[in-house]
Amino acid sequence: MASLISCPHCGTRPKEEFSIRGDASVLRPDPEASDEAWNDYVHIRANPRGRYREHWQHVAGCRRWLVVERDTMTHEVYSVTDGAVAAREAAR
Amino acid sequence: MSKTYISRHPLESRIPADPGIRAVDHLEVPQRVAIATVMAAEGGDAFVAAALAAAGDLSLRFVAPGEWLALSQLDTPEILQRNLSLLLAEAAHIVDQSDGRVLLRLSGPNVRRILAKGIATDLHPNVFEVGTSSNVLCGHISVNLARTGENEFEVIVMRSFAESLFDDLKTMGREFDLSVGFST
Repeated sequence: MASLISCPHCGTRPKEEFSIRGDASVLRPDPEASDEAWNDYVHIRANPRGRYREHWQHVAGCRRWLVVERDTMTHEVYSVTDGAVAAREAAR
Repeated sequence: MSKTYISRHPLESRIPADPGIRAVDHLEVPQRVAIATVMAAEGGDAFVAAALAAAGDLSLRFVAPGEWLALSQLDTPEILQRNLSLLLAEAAHIVDQSDGRVLLRLSGPNVRRILAKGIATDLHPNVFEVGTSSNVLCGHISVNLARTGENEFEVIVMRSFAESLFDDLKTMGREFDLSVGFST
């Protein structure tokens, strides 16, 4: 596991300060979407070997939600973005 | 029926009344500090940051974007709260934390080596400069750490964790004969 995460607000911190909150790439379906779509959203995860986008919460620091892009095999961290910033970029 | 409440410092039972000999590395506990959390209302981050920076008599600690701890060693909690309300009005939410948080001041030539036993953040003088502050994990407790001098750090911890952190800091400092005492 990537042991150092560079929080955009607090600087480089050990992973113990964070809580991993799961896949950041899934998109919440429309409330009226099919049961199938909701089942996929809630339960189905890819567990890839390689590059992965995840939500990490900096619980012992600034308490912000971050989007961390990392490699599950090499432990390399590609990017760390504040969750609000990532959401704004995605909406554009 | 009126009740009388006695305000007690949470570390009263841990710190001896007789301070003993002060070592070079010392953990000082100020008994009366006014502390308040300031949280900017939505979209008001920049305004609040500027207003707080302009108010010179406050000591400010960074917690998160749009969130700070404001400290005053001179004012009472009531006056701090009033001053902040006058300064920021509707732009921020202000909550008095004077009894909710405990301030600990560590100083001495070995202060970084003591802190390094519990904190994994880089505290090198050139990285963690004087005036820097941030929430960090110390052991299993999240604290607000600030560098207030060349070899001086201040730790702000939630009241209920104060005794546990205090014991941890004493253990971390035992190698250096860390002395403890209330501010005189």
